Amino acid sequence: MKLKFTWKIWLLIIVLVFSLLSIFGFPPTFLEKGVIITHIEANSTAFDMGLRQGQIITSIDGNKINNFKDFTKIITEKFPSEEKVKTIISTKDSDYTFFSDEMPKIIVSDIPKTNVLLGLDLSGGARALVKAKDADLTSSELSDLIDTTRNRFNVYGLEDVKILPVSDLSGDHFMLIEIAGATPGDLEELVAQQGKFEAKIGDEIVFIGGERDVADVCKNDATCAGVRSCDQAGDGTYFCNFDFSVYLSEEAAQRHADITKYLETNITSSGRYLSKTLDLYVDDNLVDSLLISEGLKGRVTTQIQIQGSGTGLTQQDALLDAKESMSKLQTILITGGLPFKLEIVKLDTISPSLGKEFIRSILIAGLAAIVAVSIIIFGRYRKIKASLALILTSTSEIIIILGIASFISWNLDLPSIAGILATIGTGIDQQIIILDESKHSKHLNINQRLKRAFAIILGAYFTGVVSMLPLIWAGAGLFKGFAITTLIGITVGVLITRPAFTDIIRKIETD
Amino acid sequence: MDESINKTDESEKNEEINQGKQDKRDVQEKKETKSFSFKEFHKKYYKHLLVLPIILLIFSFGYLFYFYNSTGDYFYKDISLTGGTTVTIIGKTAPSSVIQSSLSDKLEDLNVREIYDLISNEQKATVLETKSDSETTRNVLEEYLGYELNEENSSFEFTGSALSQSFFKQLIFAILLAFIFMTIVVFILFRNLIPSGVVILSAFADILMTLVTVNLLGIEMSSGGIVAFLMLIGYSVDTDILLTTRLLKRREGDLYERIFGAFKTGITMTLTSLVAISIALIIVNPFSIILSQIFTVIVIGLFFDIFNTWVTNLSLLEWYIEHSENKHGGVK
Repeated sequence: MKLKFTWKIWLLIIVLVFSLLSIFGFPPTFLEKGVIITHIEANSTAFDMGLRQGQIITSIDGNKINNFKDFTKIITEKFPSEEKVKTIISTKDSDYTFFSDEMPKIIVSDIPKTNVLLGLDLSGGARALVKAKDADLTSSELSDLIDTTRNRFNVYGLEDVKILPVSDLSGDHFMLIEIAGATPGDLEELVAQQGKFEAKIGDEIVFIGGERDVADVCKNDATCAGVRSCDQAGDGTYFCNFDFSVYLSEEAAQRHADITKYLETNITSSGRYLSKTLDLYVDDNLVDSLLISEGLKGRVTTQIQIQGSGTGLTQQDALLDAKESMSKLQTILITGGLPFKLEIVKLDTISPSLGKEFIRSILIAGLAAIVAVSIIIFGRYRKIKASLALILTSTSEIIIILGIASFISWNLDLPSIAGILATIGTGIDQQIIILDESKHSKHLNINQRLKRAFAIILGAYFTGVVSMLPLIWAGAGLFKGFAITTLIGITVGVLITRPAFTDIIRKIETD
Repeated sequence: MDESINKTDESEKNEEINQGKQDKRDVQEKKETKSFSFKEFHKKYYKHLLVLPIILLIFSFGYLFYFYNSTGDYFYKDISLTGGTTVTIIGKTAPSSVIQSSLSDKLEDLNVREIYDLISNEQKATVLETKSDSETTRNVLEEYLGYELNEENSSFEFTGSALSQSFFKQLIFAILLAFIFMTIVVFILFRNLIPSGVVILSAFADILMTLVTVNLLGIEMSSGGIVAFLMLIGYSVDTDILLTTRLLKRREGDLYERIFGAFKTGITMTLTSLVAISIALIIVNPFSIILSQIFTVIVIGLFFDIFNTWVTNLSLLEWYIEHSENKHGGVK
């Protein structure tokens, strides 16, 4: 048989090739050796040297790195070391040399074998859906909220966070936060805390968080911020004290002077302090009361020292707690509070451990389903060529959907996978229609018969499209994946795979 | 092998074209008599067959009414629709029954199940579902297990009850909307009131009967399960559209040959879907609640689709065709 393809078959082949390129990359990523940097701490030595997220490390000190195992082996053998040692990290493009006694602050993983992105429910991570409590947000309020939250995450040191506004069919507005990989332990507080900071003397507000009153906050600078001392308390637990400087605006400093002017001085055993304390409130909860030394009375001072402490069962715990509390306070002082209370209406933290098993079982299920369908199709038609064409077309449909998903960087979550399965099911159904119509009513020529098949298929296509549309918006977009993959799938079917299959059948029938 | 291929081919041609080829092969005669008796039977009794869908529909409506009166809902909802927490603890734990009995007084509406590896049958994880919030659940579990639950060894999924209820309303709305859109497309497709109405009735009957079966089986529906009903709309109208097109828009052969041809195509379609999805269901069942529920609903729905396409839709359509034949003296 001479192979002469029609343009529809060529179109399928071309789209298929592009899809494969989109899935596996060129050259294919599964042939690449090394580890990819998934996270790098900003301002760390490694960062300053020029290493960045997404780079591929191919060797360390001349030793080839093929995978994560190699990397861990070399790094753990080398660090921590007694003294600063030289390390040469080579990526594909250049070498980075640095001297250190501790391991570089990077997180690496094996290079993903494909460009297919997996959703949080398969790859692990955290997702929060946040809503204003007892209030409806306008879209400008929502975008303010998102800016503030993004700012908070940045100040907190988390950069790889996706924050999006979503609204749903009942007209509710939400903020959707997605964090891939490691989740901060106090995500809930970071996200939902209104973050209204007030510093009061008595009932009078001296300053609040945010740029109007707070000009700057010292952070990551040991000279003006840090945990200063740790000690054991009477009950055996530990506590650590921190302090950091806050620079007030002129206006706030003036307020401070005006309020303290009239306060009396108390003489205590530890020194001379004003009669009232500076009380710090976060979301109306008193977090700390600071004594004001006599020298500050009535003075316009723009620099204030904020103190606080962390506690824990061990000194290590107390130290961590102090650091966390300090970071939180600094964050809300910089970013300011939100004008409304927030509520986390959905919070998922998914461990990455089960994802692989999931994918494996889905692949096995898909494969078994294809085998079963092949057996039925062959049993029914007893024609190797036509049956084979049907199975190949359906397989190429899966590849094209995955290709488009990788191309538009769509994260495949479980609903998306259900959508792919649904599409393949209806796809096979429609190909059965084509096969049967091609054999029917022999008084018509093959073109007329296949045209008829297409009329039925288009009808089914449009019902499919319209039944998926509402799902894009329903449920805060959490089922969007299902709708999107189904829409991609059935559209690819009607535009590319079904026409090609029709031509293949025409060729088989006329041969 | 070769010979049998020829035989099937020819016999098919014969039915389809109805040209009464004078081929006296045995196989063929058998087939002719068979389709003849089917034809006679169906011609005589197709209206009687309609008793079956009528009984089932009355029963379904009755049951659903009773169900609504006793539970205040149209189906049992799981925590994705009522609000609550799902925790997946990775690794081996105490058997689910033990966890269930020791924690059920601390966690509201607790439901525990295990996840096994498909091949080694080794316990991979334990899944707990409760209406309690995520903080309470975490504390109770950590106390019970004696270790801290972090992102390495567990997954937490919490949905607030207000949100779940809103999700639920929206998903139902999405189904209604999809159904209405589907109705419009079907009407545009056939531009004929009764046949379109019959297609829509069949799709509706599929959904209703599936819902009643799900309730009878005591399945708690998740948001994924509702999405499956959306898929069901698509799967069920496919065969109905095929049948109606073949019967109304085609001229060749007599009515019963067209019915038989449509049946062969339609049943192949439904059977492939049914087998493929059943197999997928068996494989993903121990793993994913969402996927296994979607597949369960579709498998049930496909069974009813066979019934509603080839009994409900076919008989009503036949009735309509016979009626308009008598009126206009020709099949339209």
